[in-house]
Amino acid sequence: MNLIARLRRFVLGSLSAKLTLFYAALFAAATILVLGGAKVGITSYAERMIAGEMEAGGKVFDRVAATRYDQLGDAGRVLAADFGFRSAIATDDKPTIESALDSLRSRLGLSQAFFVSSEGQVAGYRGTLSAKDAETLRASLDNGATRGVLLLGDRRFNAAAASVDVPVTVGWLVLGNALDAREMANLSRLSAIELKPRIVSAAELPAGVQPHATAAATERSVSGERVLIRARPIQSFDAAAPQILLLEHSLTRALAAYTPMLWQLAACGLIGVLIAVAGSWLLARRLSRPIAALDAAARRVSQGEYAQVAVETSDEIGTLAASFNRMVDDIGERERQITHMALHDSLTGLANRTLLREHLTTVLSRDSGSTKRALFCLDLDNFKVVNDTLGHPTGDALLCEIAERLTAFANGGFVARLGGDEFAIVIDDSTGSLDRSASELIRAVAKPCHVNGHRIVPGTSIGIAVLGVDGNDPVALVKNADLALYRAKHDGRGGFRFFESAMDAEAQARRQMELDLHDAIQNGELSLMYQPLFNLNEGRVSAFEALLRWNHPVRGSVSPVDFIPLAEDTGLIIPIGEWVIREACRTARSWPDHVRIAVNVSAVQFRNPGLNSVILQALSESGLPPGRLELEITESLFIDNVEATLSSLHSLRALGVRVALDDFGTGYSSLSYLRSFPFDKIKIDRSFIMDLLGSDSATAIIKSITSLAEALGMETTAEGVEHVEQMDILREQGCSHIQGFYFSRPITPEAVTAMLADGAREQAAA
Amino acid sequence: MAVPAHAGDVRLRIVDGTGAPVRDAVVTIHTARPAAAGSFKFPWAAAMTQRNVQFDPHVLIIPVGAVVTFPNFDKVRHHVYSFSKAAKFEIKLFGRDESRSYTFKTAGAVAIGCNIHDAMTGFIKVVDTPYANKTAGDGATVIASVPAGRTRITVWHPRMRAKDQESTLDLDVTAGDLSKLITVSLK
Repeated sequence: MNLIARLRRFVLGSLSAKLTLFYAALFAAATILVLGGAKVGITSYAERMIAGEMEAGGKVFDRVAATRYDQLGDAGRVLAADFGFRSAIATDDKPTIESALDSLRSRLGLSQAFFVSSEGQVAGYRGTLSAKDAETLRASLDNGATRGVLLLGDRRFNAAAASVDVPVTVGWLVLGNALDAREMANLSRLSAIELKPRIVSAAELPAGVQPHATAAATERSVSGERVLIRARPIQSFDAAAPQILLLEHSLTRALAAYTPMLWQLAACGLIGVLIAVAGSWLLARRLSRPIAALDAAARRVSQGEYAQVAVETSDEIGTLAASFNRMVDDIGERERQITHMALHDSLTGLANRTLLREHLTTVLSRDSGSTKRALFCLDLDNFKVVNDTLGHPTGDALLCEIAERLTAFANGGFVARLGGDEFAIVIDDSTGSLDRSASELIRAVAKPCHVNGHRIVPGTSIGIAVLGVDGNDPVALVKNADLALYRAKHDGRGGFRFFESAMDAEAQARRQMELDLHDAIQNGELSLMYQPLFNLNEGRVSAFEALLRWNHPVRGSVSPVDFIPLAEDTGLIIPIGEWVIREACRTARSWPDHVRIAVNVSAVQFRNPGLNSVILQALSESGLPPGRLELEITESLFIDNVEATLSSLHSLRALGVRVALDDFGTGYSSLSYLRSFPFDKIKIDRSFIMDLLGSDSATAIIKSITSLAEALGMETTAEGVEHVEQMDILREQGCSHIQGFYFSRPITPEAVTAMLADGAREQAAA
Repeated sequence: MAVPAHAGDVRLRIVDGTGAPVRDAVVTIHTARPAAAGSFKFPWAAAMTQRNVQFDPHVLIIPVGAVVTFPNFDKVRHHVYSFSKAAKFEIKLFGRDESRSYTFKTAGAVAIGCNIHDAMTGFIKVVDTPYANKTAGDGATVIASVPAGRTRITVWHPRMRAKDQESTLDLDVTAGDLSKLITVSLK
């Protein structure tokens, strides 16, 4: 980068440099103006002064000349009036005349004293006088000339004349002083400046100079110099040959006299510029230093540091500094608020998951000594019910109440809300074993409380991961505590579980199975098997229950017991269930009209509002009459919400499909459901059937169930029939249908077709 | 004196270059027949008085040979002189009521002054013809009974711009009056 570019960047980047340059330029301009003005002023002053001196010089010359003329005239008149002199003139007594003139000349120290008669004779002239000059002089005198510059030959005189009257004028006495160099030098000394006075004839004037009594001086260039010239007409004897006083003064030389002054002014101006530079630099530094300090502080603030600037003055800069400090404090305060918001739960004010992670990191990095520390993960039992039934404001208030209880329990320990109804506490065993703490915590949470006017008895499950044992990083700890919590909830609510490494493996397996199950639909790994239901009265197959099978390429045949709960937990049961219904309806379409298809509907499916349309679509696609589709539901549907379940059942019934109650007898209050909804069929749980052969009471139960079903107009199906004796008892006790290995295991759709064909032949044969 | 027949008055008016009337111009007419000296007189006194430090009259016309008296009526004394060619004389300091006289024997103009009082100027025109007179304030004068014939008229004035302050012209005077305007150049 060259020097100019660097300088330019420095100036543009520096307020001080900018201000300094600005003021320096300003002052320099002012100085130049002053210098220019001074020069113009000096020039015009000098010209005026010279012109004034010239005018004064002219006047002085006139005054001096007039005085000389007066003296000469007076002297002349004295002699001219002398009777004896007049007598000598009248008698033309030349010797007397000349001696009188000599006497006068020597007495007054005159250059000339002579007499000119009216006829033109001249007496007493010293030197020679040409006839022309004599006649010119006579004519001038005759015309009344009495004083003035007299040019005789090449000599000039200040002259005055006096007439000699006897009493008429017979001639003139002329007295003259030579206007020689000495006389002009004397004149020159009378003016303040050198005017080089000269007396010239009009013809001798420099070109372009006009004689004028009052006009200003003319400026001429003489050998490179500006010269002011003034030509002033002066009194002259010969009116036809006027004499002119020429005054000259060199303007160039006069101005040269002022040059040192201008240089001094320039030097002062330069010093002034330097002072202005220094002063404005100091001022600019004073101004820019706080700005630079503010800039530096702002940079530090932007890098996250806390920075304040010193408030040194009470002016605008000081105010700016104070405002900056206030702004930094405010930003810090807001950052703290934002950080708090980022690390804390807005509802309960507890730490959030992020802060928990940080806290765990900190705690893990510290040597705990002999103390055992653990992460407790809590999950409120049935919190969803509170939200659903009492509303979210009450749910939120309950969460706040729980947060307070946890905080009180932690007693200064770390408490976090992980989201929803999940909380976490970091606890050590300094006040008691972790088991005891967990039990106490469960009790503390489970105390009944009043929230928004509602009495609520909360409950919680706890998963525990021990720091350093069940994980050395927050992520692993939280995951493991969650796994333990999952197990605790799975094992029944209101308990706690410590993490075990097997849980992790199970979780991994579950996760993998989840993924496999997700792909199973796409890959066509799912299939349906059909277990026939035998109508004891008619002696033929009346329906098939569709049973889901998963044939994984690696896992092999996976039991529904293993994957159905997983599908329900993950929600995969919705698409799987839909597939099952469609597939079942499609298959059943080819069966004889009296053979129905029975499909199990899980609670998750049942709560899905799309179930009705799925069924409608499956029926319309397959063309299966609704009456040939039997949906099997379990009692568990009724646990959450009886009203909603009944409403859904009625709407399904309205489609024309049949509804069967599965696993009858295992629930709590099956009888009341039977009264609430007119099921088409009751399926008696296999546990009763298995007992039939060893217990009479079982037979009695079957009897009572069939009696009840008959009374309510419902069919009954016995599940799990494996022996002919069981079938005999069931037939005896009035059971209308049986299902079980005794009759048939679940079979493929092809086997179904074959079985139905055989059945038809048997029927035809019978 | 016998007045010849066929005589007429000559009326002249003298003006300067600007047309202004010229006073105290002396007009003389010389006829073919000159008059003998002492044969004529003028009807005014041959006296040049000094009154109020002035010569009175300013211009006096006298015939050749006339005796002019110089009576002084002033309280101061005067020193009358003349350096004119026609009459060079000097009448030294004389006082009040003193009178001196001088006989002018030559025709011509005589300028008289006072050596004490420069401002006093007077002129005595000594003429050798009876036909002479001076102009009044209007520049006019009448010279009566000039005989007919060829005449030379001379106009003299102390300030006239001419040799001897006079100019001449020839004029035929016929019977009857004659009027003429004459322009002269004055200093």
